[in-house]
Amino acid sequence: MSRNNDSTVSGLLSKLKDSDAGVRTEAWQGAGSVGAAGVESLAGLMTDGNLEVARAAKRALWRIVRYTGRPGARSESREVAVKLNGVLGGDAPVAVRREILWMLSEIGSRRRIEPIAELLSHKELREDARMVLERIGGRRALSALQGGFESAPEEFKQNLAQSIRKLGGKVEGYECVKLVPTKETTIKALPD
Amino acid sequence: MERTKKLSRREFLAAAGAAASVPYLIPSSVLGGAGRPGANDRIVTAHIGVGGMGGYHLRDMKSRMDRGEVRIAAVCDADENRLAQAVMTAGKGVTPYRDYRYVLQRKDVDAVVIATPDHWHGVQMVHAAQCGKHVYVEKPACCTIEEGKAMMAAAKENKVSVQVGSQGRSQPEAYLAHRYLVNGNIGDIKRVDCFHYPSPEDNNPVADSEPPEELDWDLWLGPLRWRPYNQRYCHGVFRWVLESGGGQIRDRGAHVMSCAMWWMGADGTGPVTVEATGTSPKQGLWDSAVLMDVTYTFKNPDWVMTWRQMPNDKLPKAEERTGKEPGGKISRPGYGAIYRGSKGEFIHWGGDGGTWAEKKAREWELPAGGKDVYRSPGHKEDWFKGIKTGAKTIMNIDAAVGVANLTVLGNLSFILGRKIEWDQSKQEIVGDDQARRMMGRPQRHPYHL
Repeated sequence: MSRNNDSTVSGLLSKLKDSDAGVRTEAWQGAGSVGAAGVESLAGLMTDGNLEVARAAKRALWRIVRYTGRPGARSESREVAVKLNGVLGGDAPVAVRREILWMLSEIGSRRRIEPIAELLSHKELREDARMVLERIGGRRALSALQGGFESAPEEFKQNLAQSIRKLGGKVEGYECVKLVPTKETTIKALPD
Repeated sequence: MERTKKLSRREFLAAAGAAASVPYLIPSSVLGGAGRPGANDRIVTAHIGVGGMGGYHLRDMKSRMDRGEVRIAAVCDADENRLAQAVMTAGKGVTPYRDYRYVLQRKDVDAVVIATPDHWHGVQMVHAAQCGKHVYVEKPACCTIEEGKAMMAAAKENKVSVQVGSQGRSQPEAYLAHRYLVNGNIGDIKRVDCFHYPSPEDNNPVADSEPPEELDWDLWLGPLRWRPYNQRYCHGVFRWVLESGGGQIRDRGAHVMSCAMWWMGADGTGPVTVEATGTSPKQGLWDSAVLMDVTYTFKNPDWVMTWRQMPNDKLPKAEERTGKEPGGKISRPGYGAIYRGSKGEFIHWGGDGGTWAEKKAREWELPAGGKDVYRSPGHKEDWFKGIKTGAKTIMNIDAAVGVANLTVLGNLSFILGRKIEWDQSKQEIVGDDQARRMMGRPQRHPYHL
């Protein structure tokens, strides 16, 4: 990280921690151009004990994803996606990594698929990883889902089958269960 | 439907036991499209989502049942308290369900009224159509472009009658406004400015917590990605969360812009560009725009529509009324639209269950040779007509998706902070890979289209 980037990021973090909601809001709204340099620090701040500071950090990171995802800025979004991948593979809490997954769903390319696919075996994140791969789409995502299907526990195969079919793949068995009711009520009809 | 005529296709299947065991494994084309009750048949309804507007629909349908027009067979909700209340409202002979898919399995149900949170509309409408049910679904029709496409396809393939709850089109003064405008009273209209007061901010944010015992949070979230329960998410206030309710633009925009598209003869058309700016809440879970300014540019014909959430003191002044007018006083002055024509302007307030037209439109009389327009018999009556005759409903799914898409694209432009180009014929965003990915949203298993 260059010294300029360093001061930009530290300035952003400082404002995001401000006790004034207006200052925090102005900071996250203007965070887009900070780009890849801000990803790791902001992901860290998303675990802040102050709920509103953590929320502002999350929104700042989303703003970076939306700003760098603009047409004509592919190299910027690629740098951001690489950094997001790094956070995904680290020891960040599940809630943070879930958010990172969805950020990658918007700007992640086929090169970003492997770390996402690894989470198909993570009990708390596998459903988000499945949906994110579905959104990224393409042959590599399909292949990753098919690979995940082979090794998935029985209770998750149905989920993967849903995405594999959505991306044009074939799955033996595991018919669609979207119309199968499963949830019973305890409320009774009025007696006749 | 309740009748004494020969067995319908669905009744035959039910009697034969063919569909009862495996309805979800049989394509809807095999199950057969929706039956169409005869003119004198009582339509059998079920209600999915019975709080908020769903409670209104249930009470309304109960009064119709008491008049012998329909029969309510079932009520359904993910909240047991609301479900228990609905059973009391609907009365004897009505079966409660938590899971809407039980409702869709019932062969005796002709039609469902869906009034769940917005993020459920697309999935439940498509599933209902695939099970051969006619559908009344609350507005906005969809939360994503891909949901909208699926809804239009499902209605067409399964030949069901769909009415979307932008009921402003069916209001008496909407008819008067429509007639007034299409007869050229303000000339050629090149601009429609929709106005609305701001979306609220949460001044008392709370942390995530365990859901209340009566609420099936998993089912309430349905197709959305999982997140912990938060009191600021439901009930009702889902409206201010972008991924679910989408803010004022998707709530009231689905009313005010519905009137505009109808009166401008623009159903089936769409903008070429959408550009939004806005302000965000300063704290809390809610993230929909507080103030907002969206510009929709249409081509061939060329016109512009704007959606503006503005401070209350900037709103147009509501017309003074005595209260003795057929529509009474304007009780919702905080939203509506100004139509700007080459010969003058016209304004209406509301646009939903309350729609008020400016005096000059109310007093205008159709001259000999003037152009009259469709006068809805009432939003539900128009739907019943559609069910029984196959006639196109006034807020059919194609028109409603067109309106919902305006609101979805407005929010997308706001979220992304840039202008969006739209190809109406392909129903696609052009030249922006990220925005294109956001046309759809993967759905949680098994709550998918």
